[in-house]
Amino acid sequence: MTVYLEKLAEFSALLRREGLAVGLQETADACEILSCLDLGDRETVRAALQAVYAKSREEQAAFQRAFDGFFVSVERREALRRRHAAEAEELARRRAEAEQELQVNGQPMDLREDLQEVYIRMGDRSREQLRQLLEKTRGNLERSPRLYGNFIRSVFMRFLLEQQMVMEDAAAGCEESDPDLALLYRDISHFKDTDIPKAAALIAAISRQLDAELSRQRQGAAHSGKLDFKRTIRKGLETGGSFYRLSYRRKRRRKRRLVLLCDVSGSMLQFSEFALRFIKSMSEVSESSQTYLFSEEIHLVDPFVLQNMDSFREYVRSSGLYGRGTDLGTALDQLCRGRPAALGPSVTLLILSDTKTIDLPRAGRMLLEARQRAGETLWLNPIPERKWPYVRSIQTMQMLCRMVPCSTLDELARACRKMLK
Amino acid sequence: MDIPAFKAKLDAARYIYDDSLVTTLLVALRLGRPLLIEGAAGVGKTEIAKVMASALDRDLVRLQCYEGLDESKALYEWNYQKQLLSIQVQMNRQDPDALTKSLFSDDYLLPRPLLQSIRSEEPVVLLIDEIDKSDEEFEAFLLELLSEMQVTIPEVGVVRAKTVPFVVLTSNRTRPLSEALRRRCAYLYIQYPSVEKEVSIIRAKLPNVNEHLAVQAAQAVGRLRESDAILKKPSIAETLDWVSALEALGVSDLTPESVRQTLGFALKSSEDLEAGEAVLAPSEAACSHSHGHAHEHCGRCAGTAGQA
Repeated sequence: MTVYLEKLAEFSALLRREGLAVGLQETADACEILSCLDLGDRETVRAALQAVYAKSREEQAAFQRAFDGFFVSVERREALRRRHAAEAEELARRRAEAEQELQVNGQPMDLREDLQEVYIRMGDRSREQLRQLLEKTRGNLERSPRLYGNFIRSVFMRFLLEQQMVMEDAAAGCEESDPDLALLYRDISHFKDTDIPKAAALIAAISRQLDAELSRQRQGAAHSGKLDFKRTIRKGLETGGSFYRLSYRRKRRRKRRLVLLCDVSGSMLQFSEFALRFIKSMSEVSESSQTYLFSEEIHLVDPFVLQNMDSFREYVRSSGLYGRGTDLGTALDQLCRGRPAALGPSVTLLILSDTKTIDLPRAGRMLLEARQRAGETLWLNPIPERKWPYVRSIQTMQMLCRMVPCSTLDELARACRKMLK
Repeated sequence: MDIPAFKAKLDAARYIYDDSLVTTLLVALRLGRPLLIEGAAGVGKTEIAKVMASALDRDLVRLQCYEGLDESKALYEWNYQKQLLSIQVQMNRQDPDALTKSLFSDDYLLPRPLLQSIRSEEPVVLLIDEIDKSDEEFEAFLLELLSEMQVTIPEVGVVRAKTVPFVVLTSNRTRPLSEALRRRCAYLYIQYPSVEKEVSIIRAKLPNVNEHLAVQAAQAVGRLRESDAILKKPSIAETLDWVSALEALGVSDLTPESVRQTLGFALKSSEDLEAGEAVLAPSEAACSHSHGHAHEHCGRCAGTAGQA
């Protein structure tokens, strides 16, 4: 029993690392239920623990991954052992091969172990390219051996970073267990054409959820604290004239306006389509909203165009904005000076852009001015948050206004929630 | 109760199940936890509560949630008219304190589903249906009941459960439920059944239906659910309605004509009907079997078109 308890505690810890909110109660429940189940039946144990630990469909996907990793079946354990042995053999072979290939003046190259690993794991084509590069720059070795060494290390570091970025891509494990759910966490820029109908259905579902949450938020704030005499007296008649239940006046809704500034330069078009689907549903919530598209200049969008994404795509192409460079400074200048009524204290300015713009200092100045005119400014950035530290323009803009990541549909939904609260 | 005994009870209730569903139900029952069931509309969430009531031989107490549902509709209400009448009758009574006290006793309490379920002498199955339609305040109010099996009535005090009901909460996921509520429940997510399971359901619920027609209808409904063009996917109940309608018309083979006449039992909007007929229409590419009649009259194609 103690062994089971220890294993269950470890499994609970693993689930916490997977993001599930697992407390002592869940572990105690799991322990209780396992004590009266047939532990020989793996699928029964899986279903029982899933009912106890996973409290949503999303958590079920994470649970399945963790369960398969933790409670390994006998067949799979044997297959894994065989695979590990084969991998170790292959690794040793490639290591010996790498030592042969990476030589400087007949001596093995002085490389850190992790960088050696990078070389070993490279594909044949990348290795060939690297060898050619080393061959080409070999002349530098005689001139400055130290500089050459640094250069080689930097080349390896770049490969290492690229590999890490690939591994960090979201939903790698989720894909197998639930492809629909994985779409929620996949980078929007990686969507294929075949994913778009499913993504649109997902957006519709999330929009409905957002809409339901918002209607409840409004209802929660309906009570103004002022007594509604007319309704109170009328209700009192039902209970013999005594005021059994008091009625209150409804709180007046504060009018809110959204002004959307949406980047539609070539690299942003796919993201903008998805973002605008959300925005379209949210515009029904907001009292009034205006959408501007920009690349090198801005265009006010006819709301009718947003009803249909095909006509939106056509509209962007015919507007002459598509595929041009991004000049946020000019776009904000045209918005502030050309349309002074667009921004005001009751306006939330929403900028959808990857921050890549020409003339960054001017864009920064104009953003400050726009921020002063608008009541609130929020930047939705489709570049994954983990890459932000490597992009200078993001660091600059982040200092000037609140920035929210939205590279996936899940992040986009969260950003919309945050914006409307 | 162990798994085989529980399965026997579900069989007796003519419920079609899979092993993971049975395990989850048994886990919730053993631990005495409420069971939160999520899934699209029409996958059979409410049915589980009914089947549990039948399998456990308990009464079903149902609370249908909606926006604005509050304690007075869900838990209790004072019978105000009766209280007023009592005051009038006992106006000249000497002891006003005793009168006041008597006014807030069981005699004047109107128990609503939640209170009924915990004051019942025999354990019941409590179904809190479509919890996602209620307000967040109501969700918070339920926490005390779900975790402690007790409720607090200000005038009376804490009312503890005489018997512990088996609580089933259902949600269509129109809004996310609070973490606090989820943590107190065992969780089950139900998807639409596979074609084989749906055929079994048709067989169990409509034992006289032609086997070939049941398979064709289940396959056709499966395709309708897979299609992105259909906005409101047909539920299991709608499949049963459709098959019943086909049977009533004497149809034994699903043809485009019979689909056109009866699809309204499975799909409930004109847009979906139009898209549904297109989804189920036989195509040349899908018809690979050789038989001597035209494709537009081919029942086999109506059952298999689109699967290629």
